[in-house]
Amino acid sequence: MNVIFNKRDPVYVQVVRHFKEQIATGGFEPGQEIPSRRELASRLKINPNTAQRAYKEMEEEGLIFTEGNNPSKVTRDEQKIQAVRGELISEAIDSFVESIRPIRVPLEEVIGLLKEKYEKER
Amino acid sequence: MIEVKEITKRFGLKKVLKGVSFTANKGEITCLIGINGVGKTTVLNAIMNLTPIQSGEILIDGEKISKNSYEKITFIPDAITMLPQMTIGESMQFMKDFYKSWNQARAKELLDFFKLKEEEKISSLSKGNTAKVNLLLGLALDVDYLLMDEPFSGIDIFSREQIADVFTSHLVEDRGVIITTHEINDIEHLIDKVVLLDEGIVIKEFNAEEVRETEGRSVVDVMREVYKR
Repeated sequence: MNVIFNKRDPVYVQVVRHFKEQIATGGFEPGQEIPSRRELASRLKINPNTAQRAYKEMEEEGLIFTEGNNPSKVTRDEQKIQAVRGELISEAIDSFVESIRPIRVPLEEVIGLLKEKYEKER
Repeated sequence: MIEVKEITKRFGLKKVLKGVSFTANKGEITCLIGINGVGKTTVLNAIMNLTPIQSGEILIDGEKISKNSYEKITFIPDAITMLPQMTIGESMQFMKDFYKSWNQARAKELLDFFKLKEEEKISSLSKGNTAKVNLLLGLALDVDYLLMDEPFSGIDIFSREQIADVFTSHLVEDRGVIITTHEINDIEHLIDKVVLLDEGIVIKEFNAEEVRETEGRSVVDVMREVYKR
């Protein structure tokens, strides 16, 4: 697990985002056990209170769940996983549109370029 | 919780602390930041009762500091206080004989963590490793609060990283830590609370995550603004 943090977004938000990416891309399997708060803090080199905050947030969002005293696990809810995937796609498109729009390229040209690039880079 | 309330301190005619107040919670890392010579070390010395203050008060878990406070709190100075001809093991033994709160198991764990060997002589250690031994000797005490004076100063980047890693490990556990520093870059993600000192007063006290969340600013952004005034 390796995350490069930026300094201006809350660290817990960046941790949640990392988990969402892992969940959406299958890096984390549904039902997979996740590290404890302390382990996560150690691995990502972040404050344990921040790791705790990230877990609380993910629990509330239904991305992870905890049964009794067992380690927390990644959600098995397929709908939830698809929603996370949708959210990430939508964010990526938004940020792409935001950076390409000021250049004023005709949409057809963008689509053409996008298609070419997307297939080539794969 | 450590509560520092309106403390003042004079050295001769020079007022070093002009009413410093802040709190540091257990289970949190509080970072006391200031350009050199603003009284950071004096604040730590005052909390440890090593220097008398002219006014104000300091409470540890609601009680005034006293001899008993030493069972709750320890001070790790910016330079090692052991004799250079001693080995790491002998330094550990010295601490063990001297402090009831010495935790040998944790000391050994820290030794592994820092990849140090008991038979190494203090005089033969690099600056970075000397700093690690110094830290080890303090961290191995079973106390609730740790005060560290400039733990990152003057050492190489890898030693700094290793020392920073201790803070996120179980070796610091749920203790309260106050660190003084003038360089924050490596540790911005590790700290809970920031107390900015300047000219003997606290000019700002804030939670690092909160500033990122509500203002979208980094700790360094805030420092830049505050110290530019």
